[in-house]
Amino acid sequence: MPAPHLRTLTAVALVALLAGVTGCSTDAAPASDAASQPRSGGTLTWAIETEPITLNPHLYAQAKARLLVWNTFESLLSYDQQGKLVPWLATGWQTTPDGRSYTVTLRDKVTFSDGTPFDATAVKANIDKLREPGYAPAVAAVQLRNLDTVEVVDARTVRLTLTNPDVLILDFLASPQGAQVSPKSLREAKNLKAGGVDLAGTGPFVLDRYVPGQELHYKRNPGYDWAPPSATHTGPAYLDGITYRFLKESAVRIGALTSGQVQLIEGVPATDQQLITANPRLRLIRQLNSGSAYSYYFNTSRTPFDDLRVRRAFREAVDVDTVLKAVYRDTAVRAWSVISPSSPLYDKRLDGSYGGNAITANALLDQAGWTRRDADGYRVKDGRRLTVRLVQAAPFVRDRRDVLAQAIQAAVKQSAGIDLKISLVDQGTAQEAFDTNQYEVFDNSRADTDAGAALNLLLHSQGGINRTRVNDPRIDQLLDTGQATADPAGRASIYADLQQRVVVDQALLLPLYAPADQIAASTTVGGVRFEPTAGVPASAYDLWIGN
Amino acid sequence: MRQPRLRAVTRRLGTGLVVLWAATSAAYLALLAAPGDTVDAIVGDGADTPQIRAEIITEWALDRPAAVQYLDYLRRLAEGDLGRSYLLQRPVAEVIGEQLTATLTLAVTAAGLGVLLAIALATATAGHRRPWLRRASSGLELVLVSTPTFLIGIVLLTVFSFRLGLFPVAGDQGVAALVLPAVTLALPIAGLLAQILRDALDRALDEPFVLTARSRGTRESAVLLRHALRHALLPTITLAGWLFGTLLGGAVIVEQVFGRPGLGQVTLAAVTGKDMPVVLAVVTLSAAVYVVVNTAADLAYLLVDPRLRRS
Repeated sequence: MPAPHLRTLTAVALVALLAGVTGCSTDAAPASDAASQPRSGGTLTWAIETEPITLNPHLYAQAKARLLVWNTFESLLSYDQQGKLVPWLATGWQTTPDGRSYTVTLRDKVTFSDGTPFDATAVKANIDKLREPGYAPAVAAVQLRNLDTVEVVDARTVRLTLTNPDVLILDFLASPQGAQVSPKSLREAKNLKAGGVDLAGTGPFVLDRYVPGQELHYKRNPGYDWAPPSATHTGPAYLDGITYRFLKESAVRIGALTSGQVQLIEGVPATDQQLITANPRLRLIRQLNSGSAYSYYFNTSRTPFDDLRVRRAFREAVDVDTVLKAVYRDTAVRAWSVISPSSPLYDKRLDGSYGGNAITANALLDQAGWTRRDADGYRVKDGRRLTVRLVQAAPFVRDRRDVLAQAIQAAVKQSAGIDLKISLVDQGTAQEAFDTNQYEVFDNSRADTDAGAALNLLLHSQGGINRTRVNDPRIDQLLDTGQATADPAGRASIYADLQQRVVVDQALLLPLYAPADQIAASTTVGGVRFEPTAGVPASAYDLWIGN
Repeated sequence: MRQPRLRAVTRRLGTGLVVLWAATSAAYLALLAAPGDTVDAIVGDGADTPQIRAEIITEWALDRPAAVQYLDYLRRLAEGDLGRSYLLQRPVAEVIGEQLTATLTLAVTAAGLGVLLAIALATATAGHRRPWLRRASSGLELVLVSTPTFLIGIVLLTVFSFRLGLFPVAGDQGVAALVLPAVTLALPIAGLLAQILRDALDRALDEPFVLTARSRGTRESAVLLRHALRHALLPTITLAGWLFGTLLGGAVIVEQVFGRPGLGQVTLAAVTGKDMPVVLAVVTLSAAVYVVVNTAADLAYLLVDPRLRRS
């Protein structure tokens, strides 16, 4: 895949033509704040980086598609600005003391855009569909793992019965996978798995045109009147319509924005942020994602990371602040834990608790027996060099993580004599390395709204991407209790214990930075915001065009 | 008379089918040999449990031996069934069908532009007239051939779309949105074709028949266009297959840069995601077009060169 090469060329082309682009923008009208009062009407064009694989919310798997999903579809619950669960299409929920039964009451007078009324039967139809074999196996096997039965109590009440207490079921009810699709669409859509214009939802917009490879167009749903509490207004959306264009190259997105061909873009690389902030007609807003921080996970099943001292030494060998500054020019937020600092479950005590001490790193490696050095300056033990392999799958490398890896490679070599070998390979090759245990470092970040969901995958001995290969009964127990505990304070304390165990005691990973999303917009556009908790761009519901 | 010609056509068709089969089989083997297994590719970065794996294996019938799957694929291909995309969960024929027109429009426009530009450059600079123009032109051609398509696209966009606002960044704005991508794709083609065509023109202009034409008092432009060009087009036509390959490869990049729909985007996503049914269909389709283009090139030879018609 030629992508990294293309990026470099983008930079070259942009630098060469920078003067021209910015010069062009200054002769237009003077900077005005986003017009002061929200008003109705008009259409916007938004250039986005990723074309969704599917437009069916049940099969949603790309964080970058959330801003599209919530235009047409809505869930029973949502998160408010404080990360607390709040009702959306539901009016409330109650759970029994044993945590095995959830009774959800539903809003009245909500209709799907195809005219089908939204009621308890519709909710049941959605969950039944999700559990149908071959439809959404990932959702059925993970989020609905503990769901036993769904029961229509009356038109406005649904009861979910669980086999085990599981508070993450609420996160499912607030997720795109739990979004409500018109039962009529579920039966009749021409291509249900791909989604598209014949899938009706209850959202503020209706998808009326999809040109694959090119754009999506939404028009306002005039009867909409059930906005979530996190929104800044009620009633129908301000915009008459909005077009999302797929522009995969960041240089092209930025050029389209500076020349006024589009009014909003997302995905602004750190190297290009200056272009936006220097332009008075544009503004840049950023928000940290929730879920797990971008981290290097150490494979504990193999030498040398089966030795806690070596894992600690690797962390001490990297001055993370300096590395981030070099690669991201002060735009990255350092992470101290496996959980993103924006998550309500993040344990602040971890701030500054380790790392960046080369003397400690060298002492630890000496203790672990890696005392000798070879001609190239790398540490050696029993004739073997202290080599660790980082395998990166090219399709998942974003935010210049390949460059970051090179900076860390240089740091660990210089300060402690560790040989970090990086291979940037296709997805199949990477998967093979993981399956055959031919790696020592695994890099990952996840944008789940509830960090517990990410940690179950990453750290549980049965987790789907447990590539530290850790098998620690204490960690499993903390994860299981965290999933079964409803009380927020209790949950926070369980996940704090977990972070102490994983990050401080076991040094299973090196947290690097908290991934963020960016939106650059013309100053004439108002209501630009991010989804609370998830930290990704919100739907177009609150957007408006100023004068 | 009819009999041998019919046999020749049949033989050509047979060869075409063999080429198609070979291309598809080679792609099948390559995908099979590529690291990582198909279930991993379908699971991607999503949730991964034994239950999900079992369902995927059942849904796509991946538990049968590779040879059986291969024969089954060939059988379905013969029936015109291209299968279903692993990633997009839709029929491949539908996925490719909705992108094909966009790519064809781009490729045909670019090929036309490229050939016209090459002919203009070559005829203006062939022979031994205007050596400065000739030097300038070959310099420009060299630059066009050696500049990555991606960079040409970004530069054209920056100047003509972002600064001058003459053309949109693709979109559904019709012909206006086609100009920049087509020019981007046409320039490297024109660069190489012009060099080959100029060489061929130079050689043709040294042939005795040109001397004969000149001695009859034919104007120089007529000598060039009516006599020498016809002669010089032969090696250019031979490049038709290459031209097609360049267009398909270039379309991947051009569609990416300009945010245009098309086969390029689909192919790129399918290759990186190891979406076998889509990759195989694109390979088969490319081979089919290649066969058609080369057959057409052979026929074009007959039109351009009367000597071949007699034999």
